[in-house]
Amino acid sequence: MSSLTFEPKDMNWVCEPCGEALELGRVELTYLGNSFHVELPVCAKCGAVYIYEELAMGRIFEVEQLLEDK
Amino acid sequence: MDQKELRKWEAKCIQEEPPKCKAGCPLGVDARAFAQAMAKGDPLAARAVLEKSMPLAAITGRLCEAPCEEFCVRGDLGGAVALGGLERLCIRETQPKGRLLRLPARPRKVAVFGAGPSSLAVAFDLGKKGYPVTMYHVGEAPGGWLRELPEADLPTRVLDEELSRLASLHVTYVSVSVLDSALVEAHPADAVYVGQDDTLDSELLASLGSPDPETFALERPGWFTGALEGRPHRFISAVSQGREAAVSIDRYLQNASLTSSRVFLRKGQTSLFTRTTDIAPVQRVVPADGVAFTREEGLLEAARCIDCQCLECVRHCVYLSEYGGYPKSYARRVFNNSAIVKGGGVHQANTFINSCSLCGQCETLCPNDFSMADMCLDARRLMVRDKRMPPSAHWFALEEMRSAGSEQAAFIRHAPGAPDSAMLFFPGCQLSGIRPDQTLRLYDRLLEIEPRTGIWLDCCGAPAHWAGREDEFADMLGKLKEAFKAMGSPRVVTACSTCLKMFREHLPAFGAESVWTLLAGESLIPGEAREALALSDPCTSRHDAATRGAVHALLEKLGQPLAPLAMSGELTECCGFGGLMDNANPALARKVAEARVAQSEACFLTYCAMCRDQLAKTGKPVLHILDLLFPDLAHGASEPPVGISARRVNRRRLKDALQGRHGSEGMPRQPFEDVSLVYSAEVAELLETRRILEDDLRQVLHKVRNGGKCLVHGEDGRRIVAAELGEVTYWVEFRDVKDGFEVLRAWSHRMRIAGGRI
Repeated sequence: MSSLTFEPKDMNWVCEPCGEALELGRVELTYLGNSFHVELPVCAKCGAVYIYEELAMGRIFEVEQLLEDK
Repeated sequence: MDQKELRKWEAKCIQEEPPKCKAGCPLGVDARAFAQAMAKGDPLAARAVLEKSMPLAAITGRLCEAPCEEFCVRGDLGGAVALGGLERLCIRETQPKGRLLRLPARPRKVAVFGAGPSSLAVAFDLGKKGYPVTMYHVGEAPGGWLRELPEADLPTRVLDEELSRLASLHVTYVSVSVLDSALVEAHPADAVYVGQDDTLDSELLASLGSPDPETFALERPGWFTGALEGRPHRFISAVSQGREAAVSIDRYLQNASLTSSRVFLRKGQTSLFTRTTDIAPVQRVVPADGVAFTREEGLLEAARCIDCQCLECVRHCVYLSEYGGYPKSYARRVFNNSAIVKGGGVHQANTFINSCSLCGQCETLCPNDFSMADMCLDARRLMVRDKRMPPSAHWFALEEMRSAGSEQAAFIRHAPGAPDSAMLFFPGCQLSGIRPDQTLRLYDRLLEIEPRTGIWLDCCGAPAHWAGREDEFADMLGKLKEAFKAMGSPRVVTACSTCLKMFREHLPAFGAESVWTLLAGESLIPGEAREALALSDPCTSRHDAATRGAVHALLEKLGQPLAPLAMSGELTECCGFGGLMDNANPALARKVAEARVAQSEACFLTYCAMCRDQLAKTGKPVLHILDLLFPDLAHGASEPPVGISARRVNRRRLKDALQGRHGSEGMPRQPFEDVSLVYSAEVAELLETRRILEDDLRQVLHKVRNGGKCLVHGEDGRRIVAAELGEVTYWVEFRDVKDGFEVLRAWSHRMRIAGGRI
């Protein structure tokens, strides 16, 4: 599966205590035994991922529902 | 569900049974669909219905004596729909659809002797099937007695056109001087039909003998006859007998049994139920010229068709009507859902199966006791066993159930100072969560009646049962049983109809009864005069007439008048929570509640805490019976429902209060519990619809308080923190305020980030 990129409108977030600005990075998401590689905002230093509200309530929710009915 | 079970379920739903008119038509014409099309002013569609089942519709539609009218359900309500008149109008107003279609030619040949209506029907049906047919007739042209009819009834032009259409099916007309035995004997065909509705030689007629009354086969193999003397209707019975003979001839020529798996004429027999109690009589339209309908008269007359359907259950159930079908079609949907091979497709009916409130109204309404509840619950159990139940479908309700049964909220104790319990009060977890103050007062009232009344805060396990989780439900029942025994097995009294139903069905040793029954036997002081209230019985009281009666008696003692509410008692409706509908399909649950409260202008009254809040979500004023019993603790009818977080807090406080009576401390608090939160009404609404608890927020924010990782906005200092709590990952956007946090947004997802990188 090719890697999809999800970027919030506002990327002006800094990871604390790393002090690093977020940048897009490769992330693996898993649900019910399925996994996907996507590009999401992550901390350049510690790798912490940011799943923003619009993504969680939109695309991620849709995929969760699809996988639950699979 | 396997194939056999599917058939069993399907057979219970009678919606697909034919309407009386179709069952009574000797050709099986769908007269209901015909009348409906005519009522819509669509004679072309109506003609298509006729042509589907009628041979040579331009003739048959004009001459049909309409025996269907004898069976019409409209009969006693202004007279049967004039289907015969409507047929003639339709045929007059429209043209045949076009060329007749013929199946690929077959080698075996048929000879038809006589050219009356029955013979034409045989030639038509067999010609369409691809058999070459030779029709022998006397006189210049085929048609028999049809040629003697007045032009007004059957114009010669129409008869000739239909005969030439019939010829296009490879039907050959042969004119002979006499239809006699010698002619029939000499035929080169593989099967013979002798139509008795034409001029036959008397010797031939006498030699035929009597055919089988259903297959119209004569003793001699390959010989068939029809249009027998003494048939009820000269024309349509002849056509019908011709058709039945044609079915037999086709079977004979294929060396098949004439009777095996054959569906014979229904003669009006059908099990379709049609309610007529709400249908007003409307008199039959009489054509102004005394003979034939005009287009306008036809529209009026066709509109008298009742459109016979059963749909007893669908008419009353928002859920059943939402999905556009009826139980028989739903049974197929449920079967298909379980028949999908894992990984091979989408289980499209999961939400459908999980949306039923399991309230049982359909079963009560159904003339055949079809229970969607049983079917959906079975399907849910199968989904759980096969590990394909969507984890989010019932998640929140199950968490709620586990919380109510956890040490934070569960509590069981004899009355303070009492050595044992003669009675054990089980308020139910929703009443404890929604009305803790009234629950305590109700307990106090019971203590006045019976000082040795113990208290038992817990969940009855209904959510696990409804979710199809048999193992978890069995575990819960086991624990409840143990606790009951440890208390000395006193009789259990509950304030929740669902708990009562669960206990009676699954824990009969409890001897459970309703607190309302108990209170109805006590003296009560009539309250202030109040406006009449619409009493909405909880759906779990549907089969508990005694408790419903007790509630009525109790309200009478209180002097409370009631406003009529159509769907009450054993026909009552669910509030949208039952069967966990509100979890699996919140939008539908809201629709259900809205439809329920729209049934009366009056303020509603109920004796189920969940019904109270579920119905109140619509904005309708709704009271709980405890508001009438304890006026000093009454909540306003327009009070908004208690939120999901407040319910948990209420249960904890109730437990603390009861523990306090025993001189023991409340439960030790968990470290996150003192995280102080503020948020706007808009955020409160968001938390409610997203099912995010304050305690979830506190646990996530507790992480920040302990120096955990978070995101900080580069300009305004807003922060975001996330934490995985059980199956769900929660995100909170917040700002620091004095001594706590202001929550700005919160969201969650079930998908996991590999490596827990949050």
